[in-house]
This record gives sequence, structure tokens and C-alpha cells, in this order.
Amino acid sequence: MSTPIAVPDLEEITDLQAAPLEPWEVVVWNDPVNLRSYVVRVFRTYFGYSTERATALMLAVHHDGHAIVATGPRETMEVHAQAMHDYGLWATVRKVGG
Amino acid sequence: MSAREIVLSLALIEGAHLARIVDDFRELMRDRAVEDPAVRRLTPSAYPQDQAAAKAFADSTRDELLDRRLDEATIVSTALDPFDVDVDVLSEEDALALRDLVIAEQEIDAWLRTLTAIRLVIADRLGITTEDQTTDDARGGIYDWLGYRLEVLIQAADDLDERRGR
Repeated sequence: MSTPIAVPDLEEITDLQAAPLEPWEVVVWNDPVNLRSYVVRVFRTYFGYSTERATALMLAVHHDGHAIVATGPRETMEVHAQAMHDYGLWATVRKVGG
Repeated sequence: MSAREIVLSLALIEGAHLARIVDDFRELMRDRAVEDPAVRRLTPSAYPQDQAAAKAFADSTRDELLDRRLDEATIVSTALDPFDVDVDVLSEEDALALRDLVIAEQEIDAWLRTLTAIRLVIADRLGITTEDQTTDDARGGIYDWLGYRLEVLIQAADDLDERRGR
């Protein structure tokens, strides 16, 4: 069974394209406490990343001191940062390239 | 059909100590002193370079975040009820007797986040700033033990996911 798809307002589309999309990012920083297996699990279960990607991000945090784990609109990045804080990870939000 | 739960085997005295640590943590979450560095570690700044944005973020997230820590620690505390015994009156045999600790799948995250938060608090109190740091402080033993238990729990949770094909 299908539901009729509403036709988007053309005006809206134009507005969206015109709006400057400022990308923001979530950075997770290394800490001496959190277990590697835990960090991988958080990236895998929260962001839905594959074990390979989650492991690569964990290693980047460990070796480089930090890693960018998500990019997108500021509000969404703040939600992610809060979730990381819930898991006990040290996460910050910044403008891409900032 | 396999049960959606994790069963850990804990000595009665281990569980009793853990229950006490979790209760201490709940008290810390109820007090939530703003100046306490351990509490601050659990509610870190999202904008270290921007004071105004950091404050706005903290104002809208801090209390709820600490509420969740308290609620989840309470879930853990309740699960530890079977271990709520007076350890001083236990015989050695009773103290070391193993009991099953059953963690339902929907409570796994609460356990992982609570044990992690407690390790962060102890690390702050001990001044742990590097990995593989050793300490003579008795709490260092608790810290290591929690890390071991957490590792076992993470492995069990990952195995559970794998069996479900996630």
C-alpha cells in the first residue's frame, strides 16, 4: 500500500538551496580512562557505523588525540555531543574548518 | 530463542562493594556540585573556545544529563539488590560464593554508562592522566577492577549484538 507523496512547494526548495548550509562537526577527544572496546561500541551502536569504521575512529582518537565523528547542522551536532557526554566521552562541537 | 540478557557471575562480596560504590555515585549525582571536577568531567564543555555557546549548551543539557546518570545508576543499584548484604558479618565462604547478576538487554547501556561514569569519577579523584598509570591508593584497585568488569560486560554486549546480526 502506498501513500500519496506530497508535492513539495517549489518556493521552499529554492529557499533551502539559497540558505547557506554551515556545516558543523563533533570532535571526540582522547582521554586516559575510557576503554578502547567501549569507544568502538559507542561509535558503532550510537552512530550505526560499521565495526571497521568505528575502530578506525577510535584509533584516530587514540593516536591523534581527537577525531571528527560526525558532520552536519549545528543542532544535530549538539544532540550528538550530548549523547557522547552521556556515554562519558569528551566531545566538542565546532564549525567545520574552525 | 535465546534470552536477551547478560548473566555475570559475581562473588557476593564483589557485588556488595559494587552496590556501595554505585550508591556513593548516586549521592554525587544528587549533590551535583558545580565546582566538583568529577561532576564537570561528566558534563564537559561542548565549546571550549566559546564561553557564551558553552554556557548555553550547559544550561540546556547539564541537569538532564545528570538526571539520566542518576536514573541509570538507580537501575544498576536495583539490579544489585541481591548483593545487598552486610559484608562484615559474612563468613569467608559466603563472601566468595558466586551469585548470578542478570542484566536485561534494555538495561545494558545503563550499566555501561554507569560503570564508565564511576570510573571517570574515580580517575579524577586519583588524578589519573595517562593510561597504564599505577597508584598505591586503594581506590586504584577498585578502578582496575571496574575496568575489568566493564570490559567483560562490553564483550558480552557485543556478542549479544553479533548473535542478533547487528
